[in-house]
Amino acid sequence: MAPIPGAGLAKGLAVTLRTMTKRSVTDQYPDALPELPPRSRGVIALFEENCTVCMLCARECPDWCIYIDSHKETTPAATPGGRERSRNVLDRFAIDFSLCMYCGICIEVCPFDALFWSPEFEYAETDILDLTHERDKLREWMWTVPAPPALDPAAEEPKEIAAARKAAEKAEAARQAAQAAGTDGEAPA
Amino acid sequence: MNDTLDVLLRLVGVLVVFLVFPLLVGQTEHKVMAHMQGRLGPMYAGGFHGWAQLVADGVKFAQKEDVVPAEADRRIFQLAPAIALLPYLVVLIAIPVGPDGFVGQALDAGLFFVLAVMGVGVLGSLIAGWASANKFSLLGGLRTAAQLMAYELPMLLTAASVAMAAGTLSLPGIVESYHWWWTPWQIVGGLVFFTAGLAELQRPPFDMPVADSEIIFGAYTEYTGLRFALFLLAEYAGIVVLCALTTVLFLGGWHGPWSDGLGWLWTLVKTAALAFVVIWLRVSYPRLREDQLQKLAWTVLIPLSLAQIALTGVVKVVIS
Amino acid sequence: MNHVAAHHPGFLSPTGVEITFVLVGLATLGAALLTVTTRQLVHAALWLVVALGGLAVEYLLLTAEFIAWVQVLIYVGSVVVLLLFGLMLTKAPIGRSPDADSENRWVALGVAAAAAVTLVWVVVDAFRSTWVDLHGVVQGSSHATGESLFRHWVLPFEALSVLLLAALVGAIVLSRRDGESAGAGSTSGTGKEKS
Repeated sequence: MAPIPGAGLAKGLAVTLRTMTKRSVTDQYPDALPELPPRSRGVIALFEENCTVCMLCARECPDWCIYIDSHKETTPAATPGGRERSRNVLDRFAIDFSLCMYCGICIEVCPFDALFWSPEFEYAETDILDLTHERDKLREWMWTVPAPPALDPAAEEPKEIAAARKAAEKAEAARQAAQAAGTDGEAPA
Repeated sequence: MNDTLDVLLRLVGVLVVFLVFPLLVGQTEHKVMAHMQGRLGPMYAGGFHGWAQLVADGVKFAQKEDVVPAEADRRIFQLAPAIALLPYLVVLIAIPVGPDGFVGQALDAGLFFVLAVMGVGVLGSLIAGWASANKFSLLGGLRTAAQLMAYELPMLLTAASVAMAAGTLSLPGIVESYHWWWTPWQIVGGLVFFTAGLAELQRPPFDMPVADSEIIFGAYTEYTGLRFALFLLAEYAGIVVLCALTTVLFLGGWHGPWSDGLGWLWTLVKTAALAFVVIWLRVSYPRLREDQLQKLAWTVLIPLSLAQIALTGVVKVVIS
Repeated sequence: MNHVAAHHPGFLSPTGVEITFVLVGLATLGAALLTVTTRQLVHAALWLVVALGGLAVEYLLLTAEFIAWVQVLIYVGSVVVLLLFGLMLTKAPIGRSPDADSENRWVALGVAAAAAVTLVWVVVDAFRSTWVDLHGVVQGSSHATGESLFRHWVLPFEALSVLLLAALVGAIVLSRRDGESAGAGSTSGTGKEKS
């Protein structure tokens, strides 16, 4: 490699000139929304029908930024003479996003799939106190949670679908058996 | 009466150029630099591709508080931006744009006038550095002075080479006597002149006096608001002046195809192309260290410019 | 340059240029006085800029355009920058420096007055009633200056350039590290002195 004086300088100029002729990579964000990857960690959404107020999320949170209040309600016995059931009812579920560090441990530990990652990220506030979001807001974000990514084509069937299909097949078999028994009974008559 | 009107119109024209062209260069720098770095640059101010960004910046600067440090030498601190800016306005008067008197004021020793007054501009950042009562500013001022002294000499020598070739010191006269083969003849001188001019304007890669990673912003560290804006304007006016001067001295000013009617356009096009090169160099190269700066001036540029003068003299004697 | 007697301009009907000349001269003198009397070091250098600039304006008013711009280029652009560089390097303080008085005021005044008297006398004696014609051919253009410099005064010019070259060489010699004496002191490593 023969070093021509100034070759390096010319190379530097060429690089910048070439970059100028290419399209720039800037996203025009507020005008064009970014294409977020699946499983983006934007905000934590709550599906409160699944919540049993087990408090695991609040206890596991490293920042202690989840606030949960609840009370117990007793439901009358379903059958006469049966025992009364008690049930936890959620009064407050709030996450302080000024403390949250988006580790996702609460979502991991939730045993009943009540917490989800939503890709929604535009919830900046002018006051830090406004960053504590209550359950209604968390619920609104629930509807922005994308469907889980599809399984690999070669993957095993999901358990709940397999169980449901098994039940459906059993019911179908029973119905056919009943029908067969019915026609058998009628034939001799 | 007609003469007064004529002079007045010329001065207004120069003032308009002085106020508009630096902004054009600044906006071009915003966009060209952005695209050379794979960005878009300003996009919002003014609606279309951020064309009014510098106007918005100006409004912002005007709204800022004008702070003078308690320990500073008040009067000199406030005077410095004017000293930095005005010389470039004065210089623009003497730069010819087109043939037949398309110039603010034709001067007999125009070349000397331009170089002399440009040297005065540096005095502004020098005393700004001293008057700020800030050690970073002082360092910036010192570096400015050292840089000026090193690069003024090659600039003068190469300008002298052109004056020798043309046989006149008047800028329109120099362009009049230009022939196309001057450019290859004076190419070394042209490169040295342009490089030394960049160094005198403290443009990257010669921006050691304002090296922000070491001394914040050199002599301008303590300035805010409009006075700071004046220093910035001085830098961009300096780019316009340097590019126009290089065009006039080395690239033949208004000479070019169809130059009878469109001579002024040729001058502007060449100046704009050189301004683009100034921006391009800023994006491409890292800052030179102080010792490298001095070494470049004293061991490369000055010998080259002396060689150019010798070459000019020899050719001049041979062809006459 | 013999514009004598034909229409001798009088002292009592000054033209606009003459009035300007005197006013600028007074301003220059004032700036020069401030340069030597101010107690603030950097201000002295800046007043010097004003004085030198005023002098350039005087040259311009006498149509000596070339000399005027050389004055600006060399004195304002380079000498003062060098001066300021030196002042900054020695950390010139902002504000008054009480010790900036060499206590030679009266001697200096005497020397200055003597020099001024000599100069004024010489100039008056040499030119007496010669007038610069400001409206005719420009007498201080670069063409005229160059012609007189290289036709009539070429020998002093060349002699001066030799003098300056000698000064340059002298400065380089003085500023060089004293390699010889250091080399003589040390017994080994004489090959390293060429740096």
